[in-house]
Amino acid sequence: MRTPRTTIRRKLILAIMLTSTTALALAGTALTIHEVTSLRALLARELATRAAILAANSTAALAFQNPEDASQVLAGLRTDPSIVAAALYDARGGVFATYPMGASAPLVPAAAGAMGNRLERASLLVSRPVMEGNRRLGSLFLRSDLRALDERVRAQVMAILVAVLGSMGVALALSAWLQGGIAQPVRILAETAKAVLDRKDYSVRARAVSDDELGVLAEGFNDMLAEIQRRDAELEQRVADRTAALEASNKELEAFSYSVSHDLRAPLRAIDGFSKALLEDCGDKLDQVGTKHLDRVRTATRQMGQLIDDLLNLARISRAELRRERFDLGAVGKEIAAELKRAQPEREGVQFVIAEGMTVVADTQLLRVVLDNLLRNAWKFTAKHPTARIELGQHRDNGHRVFFVTDDGAGFDMAHANLLFAPFQRLHRQSDFEGTGVGLATVQRIIHRHGGQLWADGAVERGASFSFTLSEVKS
Amino acid sequence: MTNTTILMAEDNPNDEELTLRALRKYNVSNEVVVVRDGQEALDYLFCAGEYASRSANVQPQVILLDINLPKVNGLEVLKRIRADKRTRTLPVVMLTSSAEERDRFAAYENHANSYIRKPVDFDQFTEAVRHLGLYWLVLNQPPPAPRSGNGR
Amino acid sequence: MDLLRRLLLGLTLSIAVLCAEGGAAGAEGRMTREYDMKAIFLFQFADFVNWPASTCPDTLTPITIGVLGNDPFGAGLDEVVAGETVGARKLVVRRFRTVEQVDSCHVLFICASEAGRLEHIHAKLMGRSVLTVGETKDFAARYGIVGFDVQRNRLKLRINVAAADSAKLTISSKLLRQAELVASKG
Ligand SMILES: Nc1ncnc2c1ncn2[C@@H]1O[C@H](COP(=O)(O)OP(=O)(O)O)[C@@H](O)[C@H]1O
Ligand SMILES: [Mg+2]
Repeated sequence: MRTPRTTIRRKLILAIMLTSTTALALAGTALTIHEVTSLRALLARELATRAAILAANSTAALAFQNPEDASQVLAGLRTDPSIVAAALYDARGGVFATYPMGASAPLVPAAAGAMGNRLERASLLVSRPVMEGNRRLGSLFLRSDLRALDERVRAQVMAILVAVLGSMGVALALSAWLQGGIAQPVRILAETAKAVLDRKDYSVRARAVSDDELGVLAEGFNDMLAEIQRRDAELEQRVADRTAALEASNKELEAFSYSVSHDLRAPLRAIDGFSKALLEDCGDKLDQVGTKHLDRVRTATRQMGQLIDDLLNLARISRAELRRERFDLGAVGKEIAAELKRAQPEREGVQFVIAEGMTVVADTQLLRVVLDNLLRNAWKFTAKHPTARIELGQHRDNGHRVFFVTDDGAGFDMAHANLLFAPFQRLHRQSDFEGTGVGLATVQRIIHRHGGQLWADGAVERGASFSFTLSEVKS
Repeated sequence: MTNTTILMAEDNPNDEELTLRALRKYNVSNEVVVVRDGQEALDYLFCAGEYASRSANVQPQVILLDINLPKVNGLEVLKRIRADKRTRTLPVVMLTSSAEERDRFAAYENHANSYIRKPVDFDQFTEAVRHLGLYWLVLNQPPPAPRSGNGR
Repeated sequence: MDLLRRLLLGLTLSIAVLCAEGGAAGAEGRMTREYDMKAIFLFQFADFVNWPASTCPDTLTPITIGVLGNDPFGAGLDEVVAGETVGARKLVVRRFRTVEQVDSCHVLFICASEAGRLEHIHAKLMGRSVLTVGETKDFAARYGIVGFDVQRNRLKLRINVAAADSAKLTISSKLLRQAELVASKG
């Protein structure tokens, strides 16, 4: 199991932080904007109030032509450093009094201008009439320095910034703490899964982690592990049982074939031996019929001996371990051919054609049994022809190597071809061609054990061809 | 001292008779001592029990040993022969009905000199015995006899 | 606006006065400007003084500015007051020959011609809510409430707060700030 590149823990913290930071940033921005606008409004309001008070305080001074008093009223502005200049104008718009004393344009207009608020670079300018009752006595001008406002805005923004940063810190701490509730159980689960996979140990259990869906997941995970463990144990038990059963039956089979090879053959040997002894010792007392009968007894005995050997072979092949090695199939074929010729040198008309370079990787002993059976069959079923050609070769089919043994002998009827490979099944009469019918069954078993296929082609009196493949194994 | 006796350990009387017949057929005239089980074979070889009076210095020229013997089986007898100084060098031919590979393997592992599978076909059987007699009784030079001062 | 017009008039007059100062300016010219100022001040008092309700039975009762004696304003005072109101009240100018004629009146300017009868006038108006304004020396301290005093071409105010109190008049502190406060004498 691979280790994850990132962790849920990190993702969660990131998500929480992203969310909270965004929210804080938005809130901070909104707050700042609100602060700035409300500070401006506040300043405007403050200025308006101050202007109103100033105007009210200077009505009498205007009304009774007292610029000294007006100047004094304006001088009261000293306490507010944000107001840098002020002026009172009489009803004709002429300068009546200024603050600071003697101020002139451009600090204060030389004559009263339009009423209302005006922004001019870093200043807020306020002009308002001075009224007593409904009588207009003149006008008032105030110049407020917005730098003071900027200062206040900056202080506010700083405060907001500090608050945002502080909140982010708190959010980080909180998210680190909160993520534990999700990331921790997931991490425990992941670790458990990894432990199970790494050690193949299904007895590991995820600790109970939480009371939410993750807890349910962990529980499910544990149940799953328990189930796997149970099945594992069950499977192991079953395998053990089967193995034991198999071993037992194998032993039985071995004991059986052992005793077969001993106990069945010994009496046969006696029958054959004493038949021979009878012929030798009392031959003169037997007529031709008696001799013939005894010959039959001996033939049958030998057949039965062969049958036992074939059967034991067949059983042995299923049990034998495959020992693959590299060897030339053709060389083995040649040895068998030579053996056959030596046994029946009178059959001079038989020609063996054996290909070169048929190197295979397979069990030599078993492949020898295969070739022995196929070549011996070919030899046997060509016996009634004066000449015969028996070929062992290979060709390629679909990239697979196909080996074949072909003869031009008695052949067989393809209608019964499906019976060929069953034990004891023969397509020829015993009186025509002797045999037990176990050979091809043995061949098929060996080819199958090598992962190959075996099939036959033939026609009556036109010969037969047996082909097989071997699974290609790199040596 | 080695004489020309053949010790045959065989519990099947049919096989015994057929073997003797085959030997006779090829004019093997050596005395054949037949024992019926493994224990008797050991008694004979080591001059014990029934054969206590026999001289251990005189040992058979060849032993034909069936694997399937009652009491002590053929392979065990072979082992004991090979384990004893007096009999270690005796030629032993294992005879058996079985074609089991493991039997053959065990036989050679315990230094049997030859291993013959008794065929069903009597003609083949006689042929085998002929080879056997020819080789072990005529062609083979027996090893020097153990020194006489070696026990009895 | 009439006030603007009057102030403009005042301005031209000031310029005239300034011009006249250097030369042989007529005393009449200077006096005219002085009485225009005084007319405006008389009119302005209406804004900065509160009369008891008894003098104003309803909200429409006009505020009367009376002139007692030989009127020095000419048409000036009438021009200043014309069309003006305080709240809903109109301003009217009335002229009296004697103090006995003074019936309903809020602001009463006592002309210089009455200098010899000030004692009598003071006694006659005692207990009435009339803002008496005079231009003789010590008027505020001896015979009335507000005194005009011309100093270096500027019209100064003197106010006797005790006299105003006894006349049940409330003078705005803003007005008081513009004035020199005096105590009653004799
Ligand atoms: N080369 C062949 N030509 C014709 N028939 C064959 C050939 N090989 C096998 N058969 C048929 O297949 C049967 C089964 O063969 P096999 O199992 O070898 O038995 P067996 O050789 O003992 O008869 C044979 O009896 C025969 O009928
Ligand atoms: Mg066959």
